[in-house]
Amino acid sequence: MADDMLLIALLLIPFLTATLLVVARPDKNARGIAMMASVACSVLVIAQWAKFPGGSLTFVEHDWVPAWGLRLLMGYDGTGLLFLLLTAVIFPFIIGAGFKQPNDRPSLFNAMLLFTQAALFGVFMSQNAFLFYIFYELSLVPLFFLLLFWGSPSPERFGDRRANVRAITMRFFIYTLLGGLALLFGIAYCVVHEPAHNADFNALAQLHLPHGTQIWLFWALFLAFAVKLPIFPFHSWQPDTYTMAPLQGTMTLAGVLLKMGLFGILRFVFPIVPDGVEFWRSTVIWLAIIGALYAGVIAFRQRDLKRLVAYSSLSHVGLLCAGLFAQNSYGVSGSLYQAFAHAILVVCMLYLVGAIQSRTGTTDLDAMGGLKLKAPRLAALFFLVMINAVALPLTQSFVGEWLMFNGLWQIDGWMAFAAVLTIILGAVYMLFAYQRVMLGPDNTRLQATDADSEDHFFLVPLIAITLVLGVYPAPILHLLDGPVQQMLSMLH
Amino acid sequence: MSALILTSILGVVLLYLGLFGGKKLLAPIGILGLIGALILFYLDQRINLPQFAHMIVFDRTSMLFSCGMIGITILIFLFGIDYYDRVEENVAEQHALMIFSLTGAFLLTSYTNLLMLFLGIEILSIPLYILAGAKKRSYRSSEASFKYFLLGSFASAFLLMGIALIYGMCASFDMDVVKGVALKQLEHPDLLFTLGCFFVAVGLSFKVAAVPFHFWSPDVYEGAPTLVTTFMATVVKMAAFIGFYRFVSLTQMPPTLGNALLVMTIFTLLLGNIVALRQSNFKRLMAYSSIAHSGFLLMAILSNAPNIAQVLFYYTFTYSLATVGLFIVLTIAKRAANGDENIRIFRGLFRAKPWLAIVTLLLLLSLAGIPLTAGFVAKYQVFLLAIGAHLIKTTLFAVVMALVGIYYYAVVIREAFTPSEEESTLVVSPINWLLISLCGVAVVVMGVMPGWLM
Repeated sequence: MADDMLLIALLLIPFLTATLLVVARPDKNARGIAMMASVACSVLVIAQWAKFPGGSLTFVEHDWVPAWGLRLLMGYDGTGLLFLLLTAVIFPFIIGAGFKQPNDRPSLFNAMLLFTQAALFGVFMSQNAFLFYIFYELSLVPLFFLLLFWGSPSPERFGDRRANVRAITMRFFIYTLLGGLALLFGIAYCVVHEPAHNADFNALAQLHLPHGTQIWLFWALFLAFAVKLPIFPFHSWQPDTYTMAPLQGTMTLAGVLLKMGLFGILRFVFPIVPDGVEFWRSTVIWLAIIGALYAGVIAFRQRDLKRLVAYSSLSHVGLLCAGLFAQNSYGVSGSLYQAFAHAILVVCMLYLVGAIQSRTGTTDLDAMGGLKLKAPRLAALFFLVMINAVALPLTQSFVGEWLMFNGLWQIDGWMAFAAVLTIILGAVYMLFAYQRVMLGPDNTRLQATDADSEDHFFLVPLIAITLVLGVYPAPILHLLDGPVQQMLSMLH
Repeated sequence: MSALILTSILGVVLLYLGLFGGKKLLAPIGILGLIGALILFYLDQRINLPQFAHMIVFDRTSMLFSCGMIGITILIFLFGIDYYDRVEENVAEQHALMIFSLTGAFLLTSYTNLLMLFLGIEILSIPLYILAGAKKRSYRSSEASFKYFLLGSFASAFLLMGIALIYGMCASFDMDVVKGVALKQLEHPDLLFTLGCFFVAVGLSFKVAAVPFHFWSPDVYEGAPTLVTTFMATVVKMAAFIGFYRFVSLTQMPPTLGNALLVMTIFTLLLGNIVALRQSNFKRLMAYSSIAHSGFLLMAILSNAPNIAQVLFYYTFTYSLATVGLFIVLTIAKRAANGDENIRIFRGLFRAKPWLAIVTLLLLLSLAGIPLTAGFVAKYQVFLLAIGAHLIKTTLFAVVMALVGIYYYAVVIREAFTPSEEESTLVVSPINWLLISLCGVAVVVMGVMPGWLM
């Protein structure tokens, strides 16, 4: 099969499968069908990865609306492939997590997940700013329904259940669209000022806008991704949404969707407004680090396990953004590497939250304790995931975070110091959470079962990935080498 | 202009048909006549030539708008087959009045003489005053009619006053002469001339429902029968905007007037979007959203670029398609809810009629301007025009307002997809089903392949 067909297939397989699920509603087999589609996608992506020669590849090239520079231009370079790989690897697990979840409409649910996956593949393959924007916004629509239909409110806020879900969904939707529209404005501005009205990323990178313009245009382009990630102070939608969303919805949001933010910063912000980045760099890094510290402190105080994971994700993401904006080879490759690690980590964490919830019937940390006595294997799995979360050496997170500190250190010692603080905080709240869930006297009256084969089937491969890539990170770092060097050479 | 004559005769024919009790024949004959008008437009050889003693010139833009309006009217007539099924009185008159109004709209697309502008506006409006009151026994409908008539006449007086002042300056109603005078005055515009243009603009702003001349629109939209509201929100809006655009492009605006329009645009965007947030009646929501869309369209007119007419057409046409579809959905839901128009009536739509809910979703996404729908393409083009004209701050403001707009459309989407406790009694007739599907598909196709219309 030709390579361009492969890329089209990546879009079409999830999309058509999802449409099939919506139309035919095979509720009994929905999960299996969705699983097959997502596994097929990961096979395709991994095959591409195996024969990736380096550089930047473009496969699909087709004019769509030339007047505004919208072209169907798809392909990938090393970073794009990393994100494709991340999406392709994570999605079968996200869908797999649903096998044990009770669900009244599995066809629709899995269809929404697959629509999201198609949109995400689209985002990571676009080489045209406009095309990127279209997929970026499209990813929002299935998520809106995931939250609206299957969301359940945070336990500490009872009251009108549906009203709560609707309010949180709307806040998420509006917040994200605010960023999206700012991005659209930015793209429109760039396209108008590009001589040939070309919106390809390559063409926009050659657009040397005046210094003054870049300084304000930076925010138009950055806002969307700042909200998506999210970094402080654009984060207020995140904890509620993560807590309220169905488990798999949170996995999608935290595992993959927010990576669009990093990818967008790489594609839009750095090449188009380098002066703006220069001007705002320390502001953004400090905002990100303050956000990371702040989220870490709040995570420590959480009584709800899912909410704790939400805040810990917020804390990690702040660091990712800081590392990226360090804009040296350590910082950028560390950040991207850590993006991959974070995706796996957060999916594992959320799966554990779900597993613990299904055993104890709650996510309230105060009501738990001593689960290790009844479920020692589950505790062991939790422990293995946790050492990755606290970035112990020889885990994947350690590699990414170590690189990011190096990057930040080169900019400013204080930044690196603050970043180290977030890790210490991270270790504190994760270990504390482990202690409250697993150790101590047995608080749960319920007869909890230990981790079964499905849990192992889900968690062991992911843990294996984190450990292997923690010891031997070269395959991923190698992917990033070329693009990062190229990007940095354009900056300096 | 043969199409113009055909539609005039068509209206009379429909009136007589009603007289002899041919209610079933109204829609087919009306639609046949309109298709005839389309064909006549297509066959017309006299493009860009002055007709009727230099009164009108049909150029490509006029053709585009006229055909677009005919298309939308055909959709509304098809909608009428089901809508008028339960109405016995004055059905023929309502069809005829819509055709007459459409004839006035043709004049607005093509006038080259200020008198024709006035005539067009009046022929467009007077049937509407009657149509708004078509539900004779409904208090709201009569109120709408009277309010519309009173404020409409007021606006017409302004328009006429403006035309008189311009005539006083230029000694001619001809737009070419007016343009010549305006070009001479670019440096030091005469106060009388500026005032004249301003008054004409006020009269036209009333028709497009721009703030602060919008007060009629929510009440009239709410009070008028749904089918008439649909006609007003679509065909009349298209006509008003092309009329406005012709006036602005043919007379070189004095700069002070441009500033006045800019202020008006900003307030229209602000008020339309913000007030729409507080609406719970769907028709009033659509009225305020229509005001908000007027703001975007005004922004396009302000940009002074060469391809405004195309953008205006694309915007108004796709807006009309979505609006027609949504009003049909409203009619269906309203019947099941015994005449309630609150947006609550959409609750449970997805459970009851999934396809209907999905199309409603598409139409609302298009109005909100989400990518891959026509509404997105339309808004994006307006932004491009405005950025090209260096209206950066206005554009940023419009972007924020577009976001507010998304919120109130999303509220309706949320209602449609929230399960309802009650058993649904929705009945969708085949023709309405077809129409709604057509609108939904058209909105997506034009969003994915915008090249077709441009």
